[in-house]
Amino acid sequence: MELTAVTDERPVEARVVESCQQGDRESFRLLFETHKDKVYSIALYFFGGDAALASDITQQVFLKLFTRIGQFRHQSEFTTWLYRLTTNTCIDEQRRRRRFSPFPETFDAPAKAHPPLPAAEARFMRLEMADSVRAAIASLKPKLRIAILLKYFEELSYEEIALVLNCSKGTVASRLNRGHRILARRLGHLRANVLSGD
Amino acid sequence: MFGQQHVKEQLTAYAHGELTAAETARVAAHLGACARCRVEFEQIAYGIRLIESLKTHAAPAALWDNIEAALAHEEVSSQEQRTERAAQHASHEKATRRGWRLPGSSRLAPFGGWRTALAASLLALFVLGAGGASWFYVRSTRTSWEVARLAGAPSIDADRIGSTGRLGIGEWLETDANSRAQIKVADIGQVEVDPGTRIRLVETRLTEHRLELARGRMHANIYAPPRLFFVDTPSAVAADLGCAYTLEVDDAGRSILHVTAGWVAFETKDRESMVPAGAACLTQPGIGPGTPFFEDASELFLDSLSKFDFANGGADALHTVISEARPRDTLTLWHLLARTEGDERARVYERLAALAPPPAGVTRDGIMLLDPAMLYEWKAQMEPTWLTESMPIVRRAWRSLWSK
Repeated sequence: MELTAVTDERPVEARVVESCQQGDRESFRLLFETHKDKVYSIALYFFGGDAALASDITQQVFLKLFTRIGQFRHQSEFTTWLYRLTTNTCIDEQRRRRRFSPFPETFDAPAKAHPPLPAAEARFMRLEMADSVRAAIASLKPKLRIAILLKYFEELSYEEIALVLNCSKGTVASRLNRGHRILARRLGHLRANVLSGD
Repeated sequence: MFGQQHVKEQLTAYAHGELTAAETARVAAHLGACARCRVEFEQIAYGIRLIESLKTHAAPAALWDNIEAALAHEEVSSQEQRTERAAQHASHEKATRRGWRLPGSSRLAPFGGWRTALAASLLALFVLGAGGASWFYVRSTRTSWEVARLAGAPSIDADRIGSTGRLGIGEWLETDANSRAQIKVADIGQVEVDPGTRIRLVETRLTEHRLELARGRMHANIYAPPRLFFVDTPSAVAADLGCAYTLEVDDAGRSILHVTAGWVAFETKDRESMVPAGAACLTQPGIGPGTPFFEDASELFLDSLSKFDFANGGADALHTVISEARPRDTLTLWHLLARTEGDERARVYERLAALAPPPAGVTRDGIMLLDPAMLYEWKAQMEPTWLTESMPIVRRAWRSLWSK
């Protein structure tokens, strides 16, 4: 990459991606550092708090990203591409796992045993409630679950979510509506705790 | 009811601010009129709160090392395949491969020379700075409100703003004796800030927007479901139940609230005053909100109420309030039921019953025991008296929306 590219007016991320496409490892590292926590959090909540699996998914996502970055043509936002990769990796993994050991699809199904989150963090996040919310999110159908995770952990707009999921804005709205209603119903018993925590 | 069509399917988009202005207005109006959709909205808002309680988690620190090792392995494998295909260049390929394995190597593929490496390093530095800055800018704009200068030189955290500025969480907006400003409250309304005011943004999220008014005066116009917008004062919290009000705090921390449309709940942990349009309420530090009143009551009534609330006026002050009360002052008497005991409560009850006989099913015994259902049923019956004289028809409609 020539030095003149540093001062051009294209978005910073586009220049980093181009640099990655030319094989620059520092730029890879930069992309990784910028997005790793969000990708990891999506995977963590998608799989009900399974930290080992979330790490594995995050690793898969970035390996795919780095090995396929040459295919990215700047026709969409880089983040749309990244979150589509994240979504597909999560859903593929879930399908793969379901073939061997069905993932609980309903809240009442026996909970999968997950390694606990770091203890220091757990102390600060009202563990019992957070666990319940996490389990309830993990029990949603994947399409509802991923829409919620993209909304809250990536802070994407409905339009951006629609692009990632390749569906209409109306479908996104409908999935989020259903997801919220189901969560509220399933976690109705926590209402007093949530409201008193305000 | 403003809208006949239920809005159940649009409630999450409404809460997320994803609807157009017209759709937002229609949903807001319908919500006020339709108890069924309001219950649905409470469910959605609760769902949002649940998810907002979750945190983003940091990826494990070792992840990059694993990725780098996997990439190196992949590079080596692909290089070995190429090496096999080009046996005549075997020794050269091995040397190159060893180079890729060197610790600290920054390249995955054989691109460039020193110029590229230098440019890439500069780019990385630039990106770390500019990229970080832009990320923080995006974050800050999502957690800040737009402020417009209306007059003079308002400042945010001691920095004067131009024609506009942004008020971030934790930042103070201050106006001097000649300054005025307008704050855009997320997407749900505006607050005008008068001269001599100090006000801070405490919180802004989907389910709660909160300001702190330390001193001065502000005028709020809020277009949102109840209990989405709050203003903390030194002696009480004003919880918006829809519409408009003026709130003023003096240097001693005392407040006065004038409601111009809708309802506002003025509250502390153990006391709440429900203040409708046309009414006002005072607060004092250490005491909390006084009893709400209509400002067109007699001077004797207002003076005695102030003594009862804040100056240990006792039975004498209460007696004057009771005897001076008009039908419209049943607002004050209704609140006094819970702020009196024994014989005093009985006297308040008798006067209230004389001015506005309780509906069927609301008994003296029940009221004396402060039965919540009976208290609210009686209040509901009196509300038209409180609102008719002070509110134009549109504002009455708003009141009916949010007070149900």
